[in-house]
Amino acid sequence: MDLTLPQRFIELSIHSLKHVQNQTLQLNQQTIQQANNNISQEPPYAVINNINGFFKPITLKPKTEETITAAVDTSSIKLGETSTGIITAIRGTCIWKRGKSYTYLRIGPFIFHITEENQKEVYRALQAAYFQEQSESQAQPNIMQTPMRMANLLEKWLQQTLIRTVSGGLILFDGSLTAGTPDTPTSQLKEILKSARASGNTVLAFSKMTTLRLNGYLITDMLSTQKPPCIIAIPEIKPKPPTVLLGEVYVAKLTRGNCAFRLDIDKEVPKEKQIEAVERLIGNDLITQSYPETLRLAHILCTFTANEVIAMRHFIQHRYRIKIIERLDMHRLLFGPFGKGESHSEAL
Amino acid sequence: MRLYKKEGNIVQILSFPNETAEKGDYLLVEDAEAKKALIVQIIDIQFANIPGVLEELLRSPPYRGEIVQGEDVDPLEIAPHITYIQDSRLLICKIRATVENGESLSPSSSWLPSRSQSSIRRLPIPTLLKLARVDGKLPIVLGTTKETSLLTVDASALDGRLNIITGKKETGKSHLSKLLITALLHYGATVVVLDLNGEYAGLGMTADGKRNAYYHKIHVLTPAQNFKVALKQLHLNELMNILIHALHLPGTSAREFRRIWQSLRERNALTLSELGEAIRNWHCNQNVRDALFSRYYAMVNSGFFTDNIAEATLLEECLLKAREGGGAIIIDLKDISTIDRQMVVEYLLGKLVEMLKSWRLKAVFLFAEEAHLYLRETYWDDIVTRMRHYGIFTTFITNQPDTIRENIYRQADNIFLFNFTNEHDLETVSRAARIDAETVKSIAMDLPPHHCLVLGKIVKDFPIVVKVRALDVKTMGETRLFFTETPIKNTS
Repeated sequence: MDLTLPQRFIELSIHSLKHVQNQTLQLNQQTIQQANNNISQEPPYAVINNINGFFKPITLKPKTEETITAAVDTSSIKLGETSTGIITAIRGTCIWKRGKSYTYLRIGPFIFHITEENQKEVYRALQAAYFQEQSESQAQPNIMQTPMRMANLLEKWLQQTLIRTVSGGLILFDGSLTAGTPDTPTSQLKEILKSARASGNTVLAFSKMTTLRLNGYLITDMLSTQKPPCIIAIPEIKPKPPTVLLGEVYVAKLTRGNCAFRLDIDKEVPKEKQIEAVERLIGNDLITQSYPETLRLAHILCTFTANEVIAMRHFIQHRYRIKIIERLDMHRLLFGPFGKGESHSEAL
Repeated sequence: MRLYKKEGNIVQILSFPNETAEKGDYLLVEDAEAKKALIVQIIDIQFANIPGVLEELLRSPPYRGEIVQGEDVDPLEIAPHITYIQDSRLLICKIRATVENGESLSPSSSWLPSRSQSSIRRLPIPTLLKLARVDGKLPIVLGTTKETSLLTVDASALDGRLNIITGKKETGKSHLSKLLITALLHYGATVVVLDLNGEYAGLGMTADGKRNAYYHKIHVLTPAQNFKVALKQLHLNELMNILIHALHLPGTSAREFRRIWQSLRERNALTLSELGEAIRNWHCNQNVRDALFSRYYAMVNSGFFTDNIAEATLLEECLLKAREGGGAIIIDLKDISTIDRQMVVEYLLGKLVEMLKSWRLKAVFLFAEEAHLYLRETYWDDIVTRMRHYGIFTTFITNQPDTIRENIYRQADNIFLFNFTNEHDLETVSRAARIDAETVKSIAMDLPPHHCLVLGKIVKDFPIVVKVRALDVKTMGETRLFFTETPIKNTS
């Protein structure tokens, strides 16, 4: 797979870090790793109520004709705080399965020093570099949201690149096909889906968690008594503006057990092709706990381990002469053994 | 290297991949402000407990029998830093001493160096030896340390000491004892070797069979051949020791023997034939007579006893000769039975004590190989207490450390420890008072052949690993092998 290096990411990373030289870096009590498209990012939907109709599950037959399955995931992590901002790391992974072999391309980590001064510049520069047609009205993230937004930009770029490289395959996204959110402009996602269709690919988006309820019940509980593999279509979901839903929403139970996931499939793909895409997925990829292995690996490979966090701190400490200091835990300092630490304090 | 933790006398030091450190190495933890430094020895090297390492390893290929291949585009080159962190090690070190003002050494570990300000560096063995004053007027070069520097100890550290050389088979125990013997000979010492396998007979010859500098100082005595004893030379107590301890003569019979002996002595008829006659004609219980006869024939059949005084003077002659310019008396116990061996050793030790008591000998270095095969139970304590005061300084050599009593280990002054893989063996050795069990277990298990962990007073209680130097002496007592091309000798 031919993926050119996101040059702009590197330039911005190095440029931002040059301004942090000889400063002090305060470590977090806990490093915060952010995976994209998590539950907090799920946009508000109109509650699906008063549907009395019978939802007929669709039984799936695995189709084993060779199909490439590919997935993308990104993650970001906050490495610490400087006096003017935060230092964050971003990494993305593309993985594809052909035959029995998985191949991955891992890009990053890119380390950024984000401050109030440069965050707009960094974010906009990245947007401009990869998605030229951006609406001016799009809200700028605050400093704490910026790492996740940047990871999202990298993810969108990786999705686009993957879609252009693979043809006739299944492209797995982590999350839903909801657009019109601050990090996923409608035009951007539409463009990605359009490119996928043009290359004969079908986009399937798996949400690990969903808050979508039907008559008060989580939609993922609908298939608890059904024999897998099967999916069930959830019709008439009306997202609250300005969010739009560019996918057909299903609940998928692909293996035995209690796991079922919300599955969004490109709306523009004909219904029968949507079902066939899921059948090709279960015929080609390993499915564990109803979740495709390719997507699971994409997540595993992009996630930062604690060891990598230490290594990145070591890198910035040595390359940019940053002095790392442990931030005082005010709860511990003030309350001694009665202070549970900052991580607990918010929950209490 | 960074100081990480101290618990008791164990210090944990974080070491990075570009810093070389091995088990047995010494480090100096210097606290400049306190003007003190800790001398610590690495006894184990572990991977540092880095968070996330397990996840890192789990996601590396191979994966579920499937092939996961990939490429990492790492524009900032973080990967070497990940490897650097992943490969960092934790050095488990034992505190050996404290250096104050760069000179004086004390065994104290009661202070704590600064974790943030202390500097840690390797302490070369020659510097350590200089600091510990492991030197002296009678140097013995034991071999080379890992840093290729020579380990030179002082022969006087063996004087008046109890030493143990132990390790599994074919690790170089006998080689080291030969080295010590030749070094002692060089300084004019009297050495007696209880040679179980006939290994020491070639000490006076070079590897190619020529005479070496010690040729005239080596006296090989073979019981029943050139080493015999006449009854007239024996004190009753010495013979009683042989009868009771080596030949297990019961008490009643021993009392009768004592009377027979006194009767013969009064008649000046202390010969083997007279002794046999006396037993035959003695008025006593038949069972006692039978008991006495069986011991008598054991003595006669051993060939160790003679009536010819001229045949029985060599041991004393050799010992007196050795007293002048040094010499080694090798008692070849190779081809004699267990009982005969015990008789010989009983006699020899009795003789040595007698000569030492009367100051005809100053002191003797006794090298005893696999002593459990010929030394009676009560002698173990005797050797480390009573006989030491007379001047018998013993070195036990064994590949079965559990055959040496625990109290011997507790009182051992120097231990030369070769490789052991069996934990039970190391457990036994670690009972020695002069060393901690962790050091013994951790370092000895990894010792290559011919490498020895030297412990005790000889190295001022700083355990040092040494590769024992080669010795140009003729190898004897090699194991006979079946799969060799040596032809069978025709004995017909």
